[in-house]
Amino acid sequence: MEAEAHLTAVRFPVWTLVICASAVLIFNSPELRTLLIYDRAAITHGELWRLVTGNLVHLSNTHLAYDLVAFLIAGTIIEIRCYRFFPTLCLSAAILIGIILYGVEPGMYFYAGLSGVVTAAITYLCLHGLTEKGMWRWLCAAMLAGVIAKIGIELMLDQSFLLSVGTEEFVPVPLSHLIGTVTAILLFLMSLSASLEHPKNAL
Amino acid sequence: MKRTNGFLLIAFLVFLPIIALIGGCATGTTKHATSVVDYLFPDTKEPVVTPGIPVLTLPLRVGIAFVPSDSTKGGRGSQFRGGFPPFHGGALALTEKRKADLMQEVANHFKKYSFVKEIEIVPSAYLKPGGSFANLDQIRTMYGVDIIALLSYDQVQFTDQGKLSLTYWTIVGAYVIPGEKNDTHTMIDAVVYDITSRKMLFRAPGMSHIKGSATLVNLSEELRADSDKGFSDAAKEMIVNLDDQLAHFKEKVKERPAEYKVVRTPGYTGGGTGGGSIDPISLMLLVGFGGYFFWKQKRI
Repeated sequence: MEAEAHLTAVRFPVWTLVICASAVLIFNSPELRTLLIYDRAAITHGELWRLVTGNLVHLSNTHLAYDLVAFLIAGTIIEIRCYRFFPTLCLSAAILIGIILYGVEPGMYFYAGLSGVVTAAITYLCLHGLTEKGMWRWLCAAMLAGVIAKIGIELMLDQSFLLSVGTEEFVPVPLSHLIGTVTAILLFLMSLSASLEHPKNAL
Repeated sequence: MKRTNGFLLIAFLVFLPIIALIGGCATGTTKHATSVVDYLFPDTKEPVVTPGIPVLTLPLRVGIAFVPSDSTKGGRGSQFRGGFPPFHGGALALTEKRKADLMQEVANHFKKYSFVKEIEIVPSAYLKPGGSFANLDQIRTMYGVDIIALLSYDQVQFTDQGKLSLTYWTIVGAYVIPGEKNDTHTMIDAVVYDITSRKMLFRAPGMSHIKGSATLVNLSEELRADSDKGFSDAAKEMIVNLDDQLAHFKEKVKERPAEYKVVRTPGYTGGGTGGGSIDPISLMLLVGFGGYFFWKQKRI
């Protein structure tokens, strides 16, 4: 009954649109891009916001388009279905991606792109889908399996599927996708345990 | 009595010039310098080299070398003014071994970057004074490097006497009282060139200023130590600046693709710029996934 109520009461995907609009704004402003991109040297000199804002910067039209379309789909579904902690998910994934890349990728001067956060959103969506019934549940299970398999292959081959089709000027970073997935799983487990302790706060 | 006075007078007349001499030795300026401009553009009559568009093939093969000093030209190399040369550390500011050590420090720092395949340390003997780009082409052939970081330096040492130098009149003071005040100013400059296109990619300086003191007797030893520390400190600062300039250069390469061309060697997956991007296959699956959701929702 509650699930049906979620489906019928269509919510406006505020956070998704705010994040997408920010990414478009930043992409169209070279000054903002320079100010917000993950720049290792600048971060070392104290510009710590770049650890987070680097996720909103994109390096080409294709890069922006792919990430935004994926984020729009995943984010809109999450917000329409009223899954909790979506802003927390986006922020924590962005922070963890920035910090971990800074720690383990000393050779990477710049990083840009929303795909880590997108992967977190897809994983979070699929995990919530597993708690529902019908065809949607199986679709989410298949999607989740696909995401995990893709990340595994990317990490094993140390390259992205993007390489086989793209001619981008940057090197894809599969690690950011792994961090996004792990963040989503952790947040989902936390929200699950919270809802078990307080059944009124359903997922 | 008269004999005693006579002896004192003679002693005074003998020691006065000696004291004056060693006192005079202790003030002066020493300068050691090499210049990238003198090395690359030795003949001003020749037309200025017009750089082309650099093609940076990743991963990069980089050479690093100190430009040789051209003492025959007069203006550079080693100079000293005032004082007595043996007290001023001699004409060699940097020995070959010290140069190799400094270059190794720079090389070790940049080896960690995945876009650098190898760094070759080129001994000064392979660079001819005023050798210009023809000499760099030879280096390129010999070492197989595409890019070279040319290091030059400029070190000036000033020595002045403080009030404590009055104790030199006691002779013992010259051995135990640090009456000499030394100032050592050092600059090391790295200029990175793409050899084929003759284009300067970026440069980064490193500077240091060391103040010290010494007794008259160990002045030259102290000056050598200050000189060595000056080069070490300047090299450390230069490495930090090189990091910054490299980051800015990478940004410039992205912003001005018409001025710099980047080519990746097949199989090369490393690099300084990472991008988090969704691949087309995942995107298509997600579009289908979202399509199903919205179709289902519309039906409800």
